[in-house]
Amino acid sequence: MVRDITLGQYFPGKSFIHRLDPRVKIVITFVYIVFIFVASNFEGLLTMSALILGVLLLSGVPLKQYFKSLKAILFVVIFTSVLNLFYGGGRVLWSWGFVQITSGGVSNAVFITIRIVSLILFSSVLTFTTSPTELTDALERIMKPLKLFHVKVHEIAMMMTIALRFVPTLLEETDKIMSAQKARGADMESGGLMQRIRGLIPVLIPLFVSSFRRAYDLAMAMECRCYHGGEGRTKMKVLHVSGLDAVAAALTLVVCAAVIFCGIYFPASLH
Amino acid sequence: MPIIETKNLTYTYGEGTPFRKTAVDDANISIEPGEFIGVIGHTGSGKSTFIQQLNGLLRPTSGTVLLNGKDIWAEPKKIRSVRFQVGMVFQYPEHQLFEETVLKDIAFGPGNMGLGQDEILKRARWAADFVGLSEELLEKSPFELSGGEKRRAAIAGVIAMDPEVLILDEPTAGLDPRGRDVLLSQIVSYHEVRHNTILLVSHSMEDIARTADRVLVMNSGKVSMFEETEKVFARDTELETMGLRVPQITKIMAVLKAKGYPVTTVLTIEQALRQLMPLLERGSRKHG
Repeated sequence: MVRDITLGQYFPGKSFIHRLDPRVKIVITFVYIVFIFVASNFEGLLTMSALILGVLLLSGVPLKQYFKSLKAILFVVIFTSVLNLFYGGGRVLWSWGFVQITSGGVSNAVFITIRIVSLILFSSVLTFTTSPTELTDALERIMKPLKLFHVKVHEIAMMMTIALRFVPTLLEETDKIMSAQKARGADMESGGLMQRIRGLIPVLIPLFVSSFRRAYDLAMAMECRCYHGGEGRTKMKVLHVSGLDAVAAALTLVVCAAVIFCGIYFPASLH
Repeated sequence: MPIIETKNLTYTYGEGTPFRKTAVDDANISIEPGEFIGVIGHTGSGKSTFIQQLNGLLRPTSGTVLLNGKDIWAEPKKIRSVRFQVGMVFQYPEHQLFEETVLKDIAFGPGNMGLGQDEILKRARWAADFVGLSEELLEKSPFELSGGEKRRAAIAGVIAMDPEVLILDEPTAGLDPRGRDVLLSQIVSYHEVRHNTILLVSHSMEDIARTADRVLVMNSGKVSMFEETEKVFARDTELETMGLRVPQITKIMAVLKAKGYPVTTVLTIEQALRQLMPLLERGSRKHG
């Protein structure tokens, strides 16, 4: 069923990670992702991976879910690491014609794999432990300075909130329309590519129509409640930075410092 | 031979997860050809899950569905042919319209059956006529029709496949009272002409009382009653414990009966009149 797709799914909880201020979480995630690329050797990268592992365990989200999010990009991971196998210098381990695998290549492949996996896992932590509303709320706050350049920050955040809110609704609707068309003998499972694409038309058109209908209804409902954009709008849940956030920020700083330290004192691992 | 039979039919959502929920639990029923069956049950009682297994949209977790004595999942590749024999009209079916014209949309089902072009159009017009869509509407876009017309066009789209069994999931939901009456009598006259089997899911006990020969009552995933309409609606206290009720007129007559008046279970106002008028005449003669 279409509904089984997990995509940036939120897992409610009360863990240390859940209770962090979403703004702090976004900034930390951003910094961390940048530093995953700054780390140029195994020492630095593994320090970060160790912390990520700790954060995964702390988050209280079933580890199975993290594996699921990794499974989605398994192909990318394998593709890039295989590609990296053939580049890089060092001792030749195996060769066949002009293709050769070197010790440097193996080391590169492992390095890149750890890098991508860390990247995915850490960004999964953000989406698993932060509800979509918190996320957009925080983004709105972070992007506020852009207002100086006449960027409609509130409107963008509101659009994101609405889009996220309607993902499950539209999935359910897709399911329903698919069933209805299957009941009329629509064939969506067999045939070639073109035939399958044509088979989707009876689903896509009703889906578009109903999305527009929902959009009109929602706009009406929002206007009935006097929605008039972001100007002068207050929040029900005001974001607070607490001691927990300070601890998380300090920890991030320490790890970043460690990565820079490793970068200076150990040789780079990428060849 | 029964046209539809279910044996130990069970359907579980989310098998193997913490969210597992048995929506249909060991349902055993048998429906004869030509019967008009009413299906009632509280929201979440498993009605929708149950009926979606009858035309193979959902595959039972365990148990079997027999159509004309044959297991519909015996050959999973041929499940589409089951869907042509057991037509299904979903709730708010107007949301499934998609073609350029009403006629083309009605013809979608027969087209999928692989019929010839003439036969497809013949069936589509025949079905449109059944639900009372006039000729000039057929060339319009389905999105130009009124709410009631859209609903009828969508129902015609299923009738056009000429199924042996027709399942309708709350076909009158959201229509105005007149629209409900018209649609319901069209369904009844369709049944009278075609003599096929109909399953009507409805929350309106009055609609069920007017149309059904037998009533299937679902309660928390189980089939709790499956009897003649009079017999089911005579068990009003049991129905109320399931969050259901009996038609208003049935309730009134039940109270009169409890007070000692010589009346029986009725389903419609006409039946009640036939019993009450003689009583009133006798009463006025006695006092007059």
